[in-house]
Amino acid sequence: MSKNRVTRRQFLNYTLTGVGGFMAAGMLMPMVRFAVDPVLQAAGESDFIPTKQKVAEITEKPTRVDYTYEQQDAWYTSEVTGTAWVYKDDKGEIVALSPVCKHLGCVVDWNTDKSNPDHFYCPCHGGLYTKDGTNVPGTPPVASLDVFPYKEKDGFLYLGKAEPRKEA
Amino acid sequence: MKWISQDIDMFLKEKQYVDTAVLPLLPVSFGDDIKQSVAMTEFISLLSVQLERQFRGRLIMLPGYAYLKPASEESLISGLGQWESELKAQGFKHIFLLTSDSMWKTFEDRVEGGLIWLPSLPLENMDENYRNSILDDQVKQLLNLFVQKWQNGE
Repeated sequence: MSKNRVTRRQFLNYTLTGVGGFMAAGMLMPMVRFAVDPVLQAAGESDFIPTKQKVAEITEKPTRVDYTYEQQDAWYTSEVTGTAWVYKDDKGEIVALSPVCKHLGCVVDWNTDKSNPDHFYCPCHGGLYTKDGTNVPGTPPVASLDVFPYKEKDGFLYLGKAEPRKEA
Repeated sequence: MKWISQDIDMFLKEKQYVDTAVLPLLPVSFGDDIKQSVAMTEFISLLSVQLERQFRGRLIMLPGYAYLKPASEESLISGLGQWESELKAQGFKHIFLLTSDSMWKTFEDRVEGGLIWLPSLPLENMDENYRNSILDDQVKQLLNLFVQKWQNGE
């Protein structure tokens, strides 16, 4: 018989601690996982929607860029097409404007009104916006066009959610 | 604007800007031409959604005038006449009727609103992207029609 004999009391202590530890871990782990889950989620990636527009091909003339994304209305998912007017301003920075008129929500077009060239024109009530999206006073719209935040990825343009422009 | 409560709230507030009503004419038939009537209804419904998106600030897209195809033409025309006189009484300056059913074309002079007849396209066999681009094209051509009518009316 060796000297380090494990007594019955010790043996029971070890086993109980071991089994109890497993049980506590089994209960705590899901809770911890639950608490830190939001941190583990991939953040923000899906907020930007890819377009087919190559960043290098954007010119100073506003061009129509269409993009599609999936919209979820409760359990019903549908594919929605959105549009943006994209161009490079004087400083060479990309500007992406929402085509939705701030008056009543028609779709504006670039340079279609003959008496006001180089303006965004709303065919519904004659709303006018300058190239940078500012509404022309005297026409129905009361705010400038919304601006899309954008990102460049692999040479393609990604658009975020259109936001009202901050007043300068 | 669509015929939904959210848009109607806007309509009530901005009534003076909305002077156009669009009424899609949707045929329903269970006879031999059932497929055809479905294709017409489907095409016009899809088209009206796109059209509404473009011009939502100035027109109200009504929830379609669905009619039974075998019904007598006289009763259809008088039924449509009631719609038109009500819309007129409500102050709509422009009334557009949107349809694929060529029957209406033969009665064009008997309806008051601007009748827009478009032959329906076989959308069933197209994949979604192609379908959307075709619809877009069709809507673009319609846009000019609307804008011209508005300019003449002013």
